[in-house]
Amino acid sequence: MDELIIILVRGIGLGAVFSLVAMSFNVVHNSSGILNFAQGNLLVLGGLFGFFTLPQEPELVRWLLLVPTAAVFYAAVLAAQGYITLLPLRSSVEQHSWLITTLAVSVIISAVILIAQGPFALSVKSPFANFALLGTRTPTPYALAVLLAVAWYAALHWFHTGTVTGLAISAIAQDLEAAQAAGIRVRRLQILAFAISGAIVGSAGFVAAPVMSISADSGIIYVLNGFIAAVIGGLGSNAGALIGGPLVGVASMYAAFQFGGQFQNVVSLALLIGVLMVRPQGLFGRTRARRV
Amino acid sequence: MTGLLGPQGLSDRAQLGLGIATIIASIAVPAMTGNPYWSHTFHLVNLYIAVAVLQNMLLADAGQVSFGQGAVFGAAAYTVGIASSLHGAAYPVAAAFGLLAALALGSLYALPALRVQGYYLGFVTLSVAMVFPELLVSFNDYTNGINGITRAVPALNLALAWGLTPLSLLVIALTSAALAGHAALRRTRMGRQMRVAAVSPEAALALGFSPGHARSAAFVIAAFGTGLAGVLYVPVVGFLSPSAFHVELSIFFFFSVIVGGRGRLLGPILGVWILYLVPNVLMVDLVNYRLIGYGVVALVIMLLFPDGLVGSIENRLRRRMQKPGSADVGVQWIMAVTAAGRAKTEPAGAVPGTAPVVAVDSARKAYDQVIALDDVSLAVTRGTIHGLVGPNGSGKTTLLNVISGLTRVDRGRVSILGQDTTRLPPYRTAQLGVGRTFQTPRVFDDLSIWENLQIGADFGRDRRRADWLFAALHGVEQRWRAQRPDFLPHAQRRLLEVLRVIAMDCDVLLLDEPAAGLSPEERRDFATLLSYLRDVLGKTIILVEHDLDLVWHVADRITVLEAGAVIAEGAPDAIVRDPQVRALFTGKRDA
Amino acid sequence: MLEVRSLDAGYGRVPVLHDISLTVNPGEVVLVLGGNGAGKSTLMRTIAGFIKPTRGTVLLNGREITGQSPETSARQGLRLILDGHRVFPELSVADNIRLGAAVHPGRGDFESLAGQVLDFFPILRAKLHAAARDLSGGQQQMLALAQAFVARPAVLLCDEPSLGIAQALIPPILEFLRNWARQGVAVLIVEQQIDVALSIADRAVVIERGAITLSGTAAELKQDHRVQDIYLGLGASGGRR
Repeated sequence: MDELIIILVRGIGLGAVFSLVAMSFNVVHNSSGILNFAQGNLLVLGGLFGFFTLPQEPELVRWLLLVPTAAVFYAAVLAAQGYITLLPLRSSVEQHSWLITTLAVSVIISAVILIAQGPFALSVKSPFANFALLGTRTPTPYALAVLLAVAWYAALHWFHTGTVTGLAISAIAQDLEAAQAAGIRVRRLQILAFAISGAIVGSAGFVAAPVMSISADSGIIYVLNGFIAAVIGGLGSNAGALIGGPLVGVASMYAAFQFGGQFQNVVSLALLIGVLMVRPQGLFGRTRARRV
Repeated sequence: MTGLLGPQGLSDRAQLGLGIATIIASIAVPAMTGNPYWSHTFHLVNLYIAVAVLQNMLLADAGQVSFGQGAVFGAAAYTVGIASSLHGAAYPVAAAFGLLAALALGSLYALPALRVQGYYLGFVTLSVAMVFPELLVSFNDYTNGINGITRAVPALNLALAWGLTPLSLLVIALTSAALAGHAALRRTRMGRQMRVAAVSPEAALALGFSPGHARSAAFVIAAFGTGLAGVLYVPVVGFLSPSAFHVELSIFFFFSVIVGGRGRLLGPILGVWILYLVPNVLMVDLVNYRLIGYGVVALVIMLLFPDGLVGSIENRLRRRMQKPGSADVGVQWIMAVTAAGRAKTEPAGAVPGTAPVVAVDSARKAYDQVIALDDVSLAVTRGTIHGLVGPNGSGKTTLLNVISGLTRVDRGRVSILGQDTTRLPPYRTAQLGVGRTFQTPRVFDDLSIWENLQIGADFGRDRRRADWLFAALHGVEQRWRAQRPDFLPHAQRRLLEVLRVIAMDCDVLLLDEPAAGLSPEERRDFATLLSYLRDVLGKTIILVEHDLDLVWHVADRITVLEAGAVIAEGAPDAIVRDPQVRALFTGKRDA
Repeated sequence: MLEVRSLDAGYGRVPVLHDISLTVNPGEVVLVLGGNGAGKSTLMRTIAGFIKPTRGTVLLNGREITGQSPETSARQGLRLILDGHRVFPELSVADNIRLGAAVHPGRGDFESLAGQVLDFFPILRAKLHAAARDLSGGQQQMLALAQAFVARPAVLLCDEPSLGIAQALIPPILEFLRNWARQGVAVLIVEQQIDVALSIADRAVVIERGAITLSGTAAELKQDHRVQDIYLGLGASGGRR
């Protein structure tokens, strides 16, 4: 029974990380139809940020200040990536260049990590002690990831409904031409959407660093699981992402427990194929035509 | 017949020649100069080229994004290794199993491809490519896990002449065959089918074949060739380990195609050479930079040369070589050519008596709250032109889609040439002898003008029935084989589409706003063409049009739709005087 | 003021418009008439920047805006209201209007402008917090007008404001457009049906197969039989067969 609780708790915690990746997918996809393959490696970079900025014995204040720093830093990085990703789409006939450019960026990041840090996983120390939950000791970052996911969900919701800029991004997703006719600067906002996605994964990577696998190879696992979480919840829906993430996380943890760690990804793959064959639009999915 | 320059710049034939020469040289030269390092390297490079050629076909011709070809390659290689090394099977037997494994996996990719679009398939195949080496490690009882499998095939390494071995010959044969196969595929019906299906599934259905079948065929072909390359991997490298089939391999294949130039025959060769040789050989100290190499090169190429390297060179060549202007596709010319070549034959499936050729009975179609068709009935007599008019949103195009089968009715019946087509898939309806043109002419710029016509004949009821047309066009055949239609002005693209429909040799033509974009003079000519199609070629035509002038002059009967319902039906003289119709079009109640 | 000179345009490779020239002065309502497929919507979209013309120029208050993106032109004072009463369905009426003014952030007159249009269309005020998708077609059209109104454009293009709207709602919408023009805005309206908008227009042109074949004052065209003939395909341009 204890094991099941651990699986559930950690699965939800891990799933919260997937939810965050999924939400970062949604923000970009809603505004431009692009799926950024590099999100997984950017999450890992967020973890690396933690590796480099946190001292051996991290203290709370410093840690708290670094969360928004990581967010801002990666917002800038992603704004740059967004700019180059959107660039060829302006004029060329090749409307799927983003598939390749985002994958290329993902590969580059992975390679840079490999060269700079070698192939092995790095570990980051958590500034918090483990806490007890339902009779099991749980590393705090799992809980923090859940809190962060909920916080971002709320922040995004507020942004999209309460600020003019957020309303404008939301409008682009609902009717691109009407948004253009209204004078909304679509390209600029699409880059902003990239920046927001960067803030999400940057902060997520930093917060979850102690329980993440930080290595050149792990980015792809996060991007795939994040994608599956997004698809299960319905691509474009943050509420769906919040639910899809823990579903994938728990399934993944359970697979590791039942079959061994090497089968986690097989189970994820099976989940993805299952969802795509049975209900491709996911739980809350809406199909909206997107155009860059 | 074809020189160095074809519709895409360097002709396929020229690229094929250059490619095969390169392949042979890259194996022969190191063999003859006795350099084992380069010999081994180029054996592997050529295997990779074979896989990349198939990836090229899959991506550029069939339009399928697969990041999983590395797994297919690895599946073949590992099956051979397991069968022959761990179970003592002879190499040829193991090879057969390896090929089967590759076929199984590669064909499985076709299943999600039938359900979802481009990037979803990319993610699924990427997942497979990621999971594959992990499974190899996990099931180490069967695969020897990270220790790998060693297997040499000495028979293949016997020295023949000039330092070549049977293995060298096999590698040359495979890679050349892949390249030649790709070039040949493009000339076949299946190749045309794939390329059309990739660009416009709608057009595929209207031309009489299923885009899903075309896609599946592409995956199977790709799996077959990739499997053969995987089978040869074992004797070439002699050692198998999971790390050789990392997800990065699949990404490498994909990027090779992009960097070299997707769709260009030579692209994969150039791409593999650049992405493999440069980091792995020329910069061997910096092998860790290999990945950065892939990423940066692919990124830069996509930003600077969206058509890849070979593609950009070709575009420049083409621009210099292509003469702008026309292909002499004019109405008078079409009529002269088709009249001269036409043998009078009875249309097949002749419907006895005066039964309507196309009959729609009480069709009803609704999308959520919106009623697109409300109890609509239509009867079209053989050898007549029937006009469908009405304001935007009146249901004209929905009705046309219902007749061609692209849309299924909720209630009601459709019958064409005496057969009930209500539940028939659209490509079967097309095969009965129904041709269709679209508002924007579905003329494929990736095919030559000649191929655009051939695709019409490919799936007609009887391919030979269009022979008279191709014979009549013999005079322009050579020119049209060498030209792509992208320089044609709109009116000629429209006429080309009509010519293709004639090549389909169908009895019923569905024309969706064919006059859009034509000048007044071109419309006059088009009206003449329509009359000709009806009177001389015996076609039955259903015409959806906004140009009322054209319709009044050419149609025998007209059906007027408003908000999904028929409000008038009859001869043009009566319709144009009908007050309800006048009010509908002008908004003047006192018309 | 809007000036269009010798405009040729189409979509993809399909040519639609030939040599279109027209002018709309501040305070005027100019009507573009024509049957289906004549090219009216293509004209509006080309002027607004959704389609790049192959020839010709578009001038806004003397400044060339040809081929600019729609959002750039909108920010410079040329606003297109698309056909089909398109608004942002998931957003509330209030948010839709707010977005309309986002073009000119920080302008003090938003409240008064919004107040004006809400006074004219009280139903919008009543449904201020309802989602736009819950409004009827006519109400959505009013919302689209309101959204454009608060942006204070110098030139307004309106594509088929009456399409799909209940008969009773059309007169107030047209009246709003006329009053708006009288405030000094150049208004260009596309309408399918002949009589609907002639009553509020000053001048009108008729487009047939992508070219202007008839023009005059609204009063003149109201009497002219040729307009009807054009609509019925009986050809003002004659010379057929």
